[in-house]
Amino acid sequence: MKTLPRPFSLKTAFRNLAIVCLGVALLSQTARATIDDALSYALQAADPYVKEGFTVREDYWGGDLPVKQQKAIVHQLFKGNEYWFWMGTDEKGAKISVHVYDSNGNIAEVEKWQKPHFAAARVIPKATGTYYLIVEIEKAEHERTHWALSYGFR
Amino acid sequence: MKKISLTFFLATAGFAMAAEPPAHIDLGKFPAKTVDDVVVPVPSEVFSVLDKLQSPNWHEILRTVKTNPGGQRSQTALVLGTVIAEGFIAVEAKDSEEVKKIGRAVLNLANAIHVEKSVRARTTSIIEAADKKDWPTVRVELDRALHDVKNAMTELKDDQLAQLVSLGGWLRGTEALTTIVGKNYTKDGAELLHQPKLVEYFERRLSEMDPRLKNSALVSKVQKRLLEIRPLISDSGDVSQKTVERIREITADLIQSITTKEP
Repeated sequence: MKTLPRPFSLKTAFRNLAIVCLGVALLSQTARATIDDALSYALQAADPYVKEGFTVREDYWGGDLPVKQQKAIVHQLFKGNEYWFWMGTDEKGAKISVHVYDSNGNIAEVEKWQKPHFAAARVIPKATGTYYLIVEIEKAEHERTHWALSYGFR
Repeated sequence: MKKISLTFFLATAGFAMAAEPPAHIDLGKFPAKTVDDVVVPVPSEVFSVLDKLQSPNWHEILRTVKTNPGGQRSQTALVLGTVIAEGFIAVEAKDSEEVKKIGRAVLNLANAIHVEKSVRARTTSIIEAADKKDWPTVRVELDRALHDVKNAMTELKDDQLAQLVSLGGWLRGTEALTTIVGKNYTKDGAELLHQPKLVEYFERRLSEMDPRLKNSALVSKVQKRLLEIRPLISDSGDVSQKTVERIREITADLIQSITTKEP
């Protein structure tokens, strides 16, 4: 069956454009909201450590990842400080991880844990220099999972 | 996605599928072009180590800040970074009057680049906390001010100016670090200067800048002198006393240029 072309209407075009813009804006807001939710979990993980004297940096990193794909964040760490990295996700069923490697590719964390919504790693750098934080969604129900990473030092 | 740097997959990284992470990964397999971001530490991350290693006289390091914006927006952004870094030094020196001046200077400079709304509440908190000598809060609020300023600039599509704020802060922090380590040299203290990826990151950001920003005499100078710093701190973690002094000279010269009004 053929459909006949409808006559062009400026009003309809504007209405359609407005609907598309609204849709894009809503989608963008939703994505933002879920990263913010993931961040709120990361900060929730950080909370007990703040009481132990850790200063939590205001900057954070986040996005969305498919299962089993990893990302790395390059980080300058200083010998003499102690660091905790906290990762959060808003997806309850997801299993996430964060691990830390030194500039030679050797694992540098001295402690780590994983729980629903959370993962964390602690580093006491043996040397000042560049470190690589590897984040991963190990398991998730959805195609992509939002995550956020925060860190603190003392 | 915010501040994501290099991407790599299981196959290229050689990661095992098990929950336990591998003890070693081959970083050489990561394509260099994907390394596009590095976390820039706040000065207090370095200063907290210095405090553990020695007892620096922070009052000697502390400087009166510039409260008026420079000639161009790029200079104002660099100055703003140095002023926030000075705030962290003032916290180490526990100088509440200077912290309050810095809070006001941050607002004034932010106003000049149209991001004052984002930091007004922060600067008020900085001043109130300084009055109470609540140093941990001042430190947190300075970090938040830095974050808010950069975010506001990003929202205004001024990412490159935000990078200049970070760079200004790093330069002043590095100058302070080299001054302290130079006065009482220790290998551990000097090792804090081993920041090769950070210098590379700043260099890369400057080289990618819009020609209008990059071609300013000040930004050109910063870029040129960063190239001099790079080989000094990119080898091993050992940084000699002579190298510390050389980095101090370069960063002091740059801070002088940043805080002097451009013709």
